[in-house]
Amino acid sequence: MGFHEGFLSEIVGKTAVVVGPSGQITIGRVTDFVVTQPHDTFPKIDSLIIKARSGHYLAPSDTLVDIEPNRVSLSAAPTEAPPPEDQALYLVEDLLDKQIVDVEGRKLVRINDIEIARTGGTLRVVAADIGLSGLLRRLGANRLPAPVFDRIPRRMISWNDVAPIDDLSPSDVRLSVSQRQLPRLHPSDLAEIISDLSTNDAARVITHLDDETAADALEHLEPDMQKTIIEEVGTERAADIIEEMDSDDAADLLSDLPEEQQKELLSAMEPERAVELRELTEYEEDTAGGLMTTDYMWIYPHRTVAATIDKIRELAPETEFIYYLYVLDQSEKLLGVLSLRNLLLGKPTDTIHNIMERDVVHVDTETSAQDVAGTIARYDLLACPVVDEKGMMLGIVTVDDAIDAILPERVKRQLPRFTRKHKHQERAGVA
Amino acid sequence: MAVSLTRRRGFLPALLGLLAIVGPGIITASADNDVGGIATYSQAGAQYGYKILWVLIPITIALVVVQEMAARMGAVTGKGLSGLIRENFGVRWTAILGLAFVSSNVFTTAAEFAGVAAAAEIFHVSRFLAVPIVGLLVFFLILRANRKITERVFLVSSALYFSYVISGLKSQPHWPDVWRGFFVPSFQTDSGYLWMVIALVGTTISPWMCFYLQAAIVEKGVRVRDYALSRIDVVFGCFVTDFMSFFMILCTAATIFVFNASHPHLAPIAINQASDAAIALKPLAGEFAEVLFALGILNAGIFTASILPLSTAYYICEAGGFEAGVDNRFRDAPVFFTAYATVIAIGVGLVLLPGVPLLSVILISQIVSGILLPFLLVFMLIMVNKRSLMGEHVNSLAFNIIAWATAIIVGALTLLSVYETIAPLFIKSG
Repeated sequence: MGFHEGFLSEIVGKTAVVVGPSGQITIGRVTDFVVTQPHDTFPKIDSLIIKARSGHYLAPSDTLVDIEPNRVSLSAAPTEAPPPEDQALYLVEDLLDKQIVDVEGRKLVRINDIEIARTGGTLRVVAADIGLSGLLRRLGANRLPAPVFDRIPRRMISWNDVAPIDDLSPSDVRLSVSQRQLPRLHPSDLAEIISDLSTNDAARVITHLDDETAADALEHLEPDMQKTIIEEVGTERAADIIEEMDSDDAADLLSDLPEEQQKELLSAMEPERAVELRELTEYEEDTAGGLMTTDYMWIYPHRTVAATIDKIRELAPETEFIYYLYVLDQSEKLLGVLSLRNLLLGKPTDTIHNIMERDVVHVDTETSAQDVAGTIARYDLLACPVVDEKGMMLGIVTVDDAIDAILPERVKRQLPRFTRKHKHQERAGVA
Repeated sequence: MAVSLTRRRGFLPALLGLLAIVGPGIITASADNDVGGIATYSQAGAQYGYKILWVLIPITIALVVVQEMAARMGAVTGKGLSGLIRENFGVRWTAILGLAFVSSNVFTTAAEFAGVAAAAEIFHVSRFLAVPIVGLLVFFLILRANRKITERVFLVSSALYFSYVISGLKSQPHWPDVWRGFFVPSFQTDSGYLWMVIALVGTTISPWMCFYLQAAIVEKGVRVRDYALSRIDVVFGCFVTDFMSFFMILCTAATIFVFNASHPHLAPIAINQASDAAIALKPLAGEFAEVLFALGILNAGIFTASILPLSTAYYICEAGGFEAGVDNRFRDAPVFFTAYATVIAIGVGLVLLPGVPLLSVILISQIVSGILLPFLLVFMLIMVNKRSLMGEHVNSLAFNIIAWATAIIVGALTLLSVYETIAPLFIKSG
């Protein structure tokens, strides 16, 4: 076989001939390609669809002799009927002109053309063409003289960076490509993509993600979009995702929802988490209470540094914010604070109450967002504890949430979306 | 612990819900009364008087049918019209339609700026000052303001069309004749009358409205659940816009038509463009009516000159798979903003450059748009009836009958007018 690689649009429409000992017979035209295992990295093309006078037929790719410039030759006449739509992926019908997520470029694009190549005797899907040249090739611009056509910008994305929005699997397979690919994206990029999708597609993408990734993405979405998705994915799943969100974001989302729906979602969660979130929803949105998260590290004062570091190791995977340790007594009264830095510099045998900062800067639940941000700025804090009138620890407001709350809308639009600093640090290699 | 509740209870959510959904329908329908529309309505009133008013009734029905389908597709699929066309009809059709759509939009935008220029000159402001300022204004409105602000500006602009209602009332129409003309269909056999009816249909139902409305519904994030409210917005918008059209016709019918009819020995006052109507009103209905009418033209020109390029940019980006939407920053959606700016720039250029045959340009845009409309309506009808796309929200049988009838009649009328416009160019007068 002389064929190495080519584009779908160049092959579709070619005459199909059967080459036999007695010469060749023209049987029809190539109209589509069928893939039955779309989840492989570079999916194998199992068969071609040939449109003959008497209908459409399925030509298995092992009967394919060659793809030549003016025809496609087969070793045997196709006799099978094409599989039903939901049992296989049709490349032209299901993918051309449709939207996909470019995981590398981190955005939503349309497939203009698909590149296929022959490797080790099988035809495989290797890349999606999303560039202008692909678009123009579809419109017949490849008939232009080569020097002209070759100057048109090309943009290809390798198939392993493609995440289809729709579940490509035939209905009996429940694993989706997007599940494998999309979590590679930074949550804010993922959110950006999701917000460009139609409602149904957005809900579908969220459905395919694990709770953790879905929650991260949801935190970065606009309130309207959050509400839509929560409605689309159903109460059970929504509750699971909201449980995984930062408690301040989760509370904001819940308090935007109608009373009825809030109750439903909360009752579907673990009781402890539900109580916590219910309390948080009671605060005004632009006060410390509304901005705070209950997700912080705390420790008893009589512990040693070594034991504390062990405890951090144990809890850190569960906790978003680990740079400050808050020292509480049995009744949850805030006694002091300790930064991770001071902890690391301390001797392993030191006890916490000897090295902690006793004079803790704090705000109460009614403090305005403006004042919380002011406090954080004045004392160069990464987070500020929120206490009630008895000095009981309620939560913390992190610096990014405080900035987010006071930035005017206009400025926010000029800036890239605020992403949590510590999330960036978690993910090395993200710009 | 003192806790204050921020949650909204009671009947307020319902009202807030309605307010959150209102907008796209009214805005699109208002923008539909653009400078060309005002010119056509003024001409209709001046030439045929109150007798032509009844045409507004079938036109409104057709408008509602078409707009409702576009809005429903937006709400159900969450995708823009050009994206849907590409997914359902392939890249060739999208490109052919796109070429027609974009070129027609560019020329129509020029027509809007021409209206702005003429209206500005009524106020003794040079077009070389007014047109560039308006061009920059509409560009920055979209670039710098977020969707909420933009939408509010547009809503205010929609309300400004009320100036025509005042103008219409100031021109003291003879009400019994008005109602007779509106409720009793009358026909005239002269060809001019038929062309006038066709022009009215053509100016009211245009391709870009469908594209813009669907994009606005999508970008606003209207969902199927809210669609009942959105439908009210769309239908109400169609009624409001034709209510304004009614008064535009009234303005010139009560003044120019009546004057022409009662002074048969004088040459009749002719209306060739929207600003002519404003100028003609001055001696007949007073300076106030003229000023109001001119303000209306200015408002319509600015309004549509921002929406048309926007609609163009949406088409290009949706179809090509580029980032689109007014809520983006320039570097996130360069194609979108470049397309938007380019259409505005060409529109401004065509008006200001000496020696541009503007009337021919506008005529060409109407021809292209007239050819495009029947195709678009058929595409829309095919898609809106696809179960795989619309689920249970496909057209009902009754709606389908009305919609197909509308598509066929409107399509036939626009093609007829295109033929009529083009034919003389090919037939040697002898």
